[in-house]
Amino acid sequence: MRANIPPRRARPAWTWAALVALTLSTLLPLAVLVLQSLATSWRWPLLLPDDYTAAGWRTVASGALGRSALTSALLAMATALASVLAALPIGRSLATLRAPWRHVAAALVFLPVAAPPIALGAGLQVATLQLGVAGSAVGVWLAHCVPAIGYAALLFMGVFGARGRDDEEAARSLGASGLQVWWHVLLPSVRGVIVEALAICFLISWAQVALTLLIGGGAVRALPIEVLALVRAGQDRDAAVGALLLVVPAMLALSALRFGARRTDALPA
Amino acid sequence: MSARPDRLRESPLGPLLLAALVALPVLLGVAYALLAALGVLGAGSSDTASLDRFATVLGARSTWRALGWTLYVAAAATALATAGAALVAMGFASNTRLDRSARALATLPLPVPHLVAAATALLVLAQSGLLARLLFAAGLLDAPADMPPLVYDGAGVGLIVALAWKELPFLAVVAIALRQDIDPALDETARTLGAAPRYVRRRVMWPLLWRGMLPAVIAVFVFALGSYETAVLLAPVDPAPLAVLTMERFADPALARRGDAYVLALVTLALAGVAVAAHEWARARWSATTVSRA
Repeated sequence: MRANIPPRRARPAWTWAALVALTLSTLLPLAVLVLQSLATSWRWPLLLPDDYTAAGWRTVASGALGRSALTSALLAMATALASVLAALPIGRSLATLRAPWRHVAAALVFLPVAAPPIALGAGLQVATLQLGVAGSAVGVWLAHCVPAIGYAALLFMGVFGARGRDDEEAARSLGASGLQVWWHVLLPSVRGVIVEALAICFLISWAQVALTLLIGGGAVRALPIEVLALVRAGQDRDAAVGALLLVVPAMLALSALRFGARRTDALPA
Repeated sequence: MSARPDRLRESPLGPLLLAALVALPVLLGVAYALLAALGVLGAGSSDTASLDRFATVLGARSTWRALGWTLYVAAAATALATAGAALVAMGFASNTRLDRSARALATLPLPVPHLVAAATALLVLAQSGLLARLLFAAGLLDAPADMPPLVYDGAGVGLIVALAWKELPFLAVVAIALRQDIDPALDETARTLGAAPRYVRRRVMWPLLWRGMLPAVIAVFVFALGSYETAVLLAPVDPAPLAVLTMERFADPALARRGDAYVLALVTLALAGVAVAAHEWARARWSATTVSRA
């Protein structure tokens, strides 16, 4: 290739192919899911279902999917609230560390995020048995909080570390109490990140499979457990309905995240 | 920034204890798993500790096959997702409507759970799935049986594709943010000095992008490594992925074999531990700030 400079606006040909691939790979799977959730039957080799029905969706409210979606929503909201409340002061405190302790702390906090849920759950299951909360929603909630707190603490550690402490120290020297500093200085400055942390912690719990299976022992029927059972049983229509129920609140949580980020410029657009 | 006396006096002990508290459930989990693996706790336990379970599990060929296969799948999926994310970030970097739409499309599936990615992969990639139907419509296929198996297959194609599809949006978010932080002057300088666009991409953009992406890439590798729901829906029975093998041992009707699950969990945790160390190392060495204009 010759080393001359092409016009800056020229679009390489491969990007058109990439755009087509991107569009297909993003939208096609979601379209298949929607069609499958409405299909009465979908025989080989038809590209579209034979016929459509809303039966799968109509029974959501009264059936197992509705119940498990409610369980999951409560679990995810409780996880998000508890984790963010716990992670705020932790992240604030970790942000005061300097290297090398900063890296040690970050690695420690990253552990529960990175620990594969199935391996984490193996140990936690014994712990919840001893605490007497195995097989209960409380046990599952506690287990969900483990990775969620780690994630939120990392997030707050980063944002508090980046914002410095000058205004906080100014408030203190003017006589503000610890609570007043939190309420009037710290919390307003990280409002967007709190929304982000709530959304992410909600999603960590909402999509959790392995921890729920291991700690809940099949007794806690969260939505992903119900959907996994439907997929494995080959009940494609109900599985697709359940899968879409899992996707929609997740997309809404992400929108909340983007909205929060736009308001505070906490995230790159 | 100048250090203030009151900051210097702050002891790292308090914050470090808090960090240890966050990690405590994992450390406790490891301790419990270790005791259970030694056979003094949990199902099928006895009074005396022994290394029998370690010897049995680590001596079994199936364990190493599972480990190797799991590492292969996680590496392939991570490589695929990384390449895709970098292509998106480099190919659609401008502020035109088209590029912005492409970036939005790439990050759209970000909140789709692993379970949904796997369930959808079944609908698309199975032998009578949408892909096979499209190939049939194109006259390339006569019957579902002619379709090469992409799920439950030994090569793990379906699992790799599903994991890469699931992780690409996350890596794309990171790559896009990094690409937008790269100083345009770098690009212009390289071109003014006579570098071809392809050369600039390969020798200037890609190394900067790669360094910034590395921590996220390691995180994705660990998620892919430990994901249970994708593996149980898409992987073959033999070689069984590590996560599936662990869950099977947990529920083994033979109580004596349940302890094996804890050894497998420890193996998985050790892999994750190595990755966490690598992650912190990468962050400390190539923090995102070296890429940005700051």
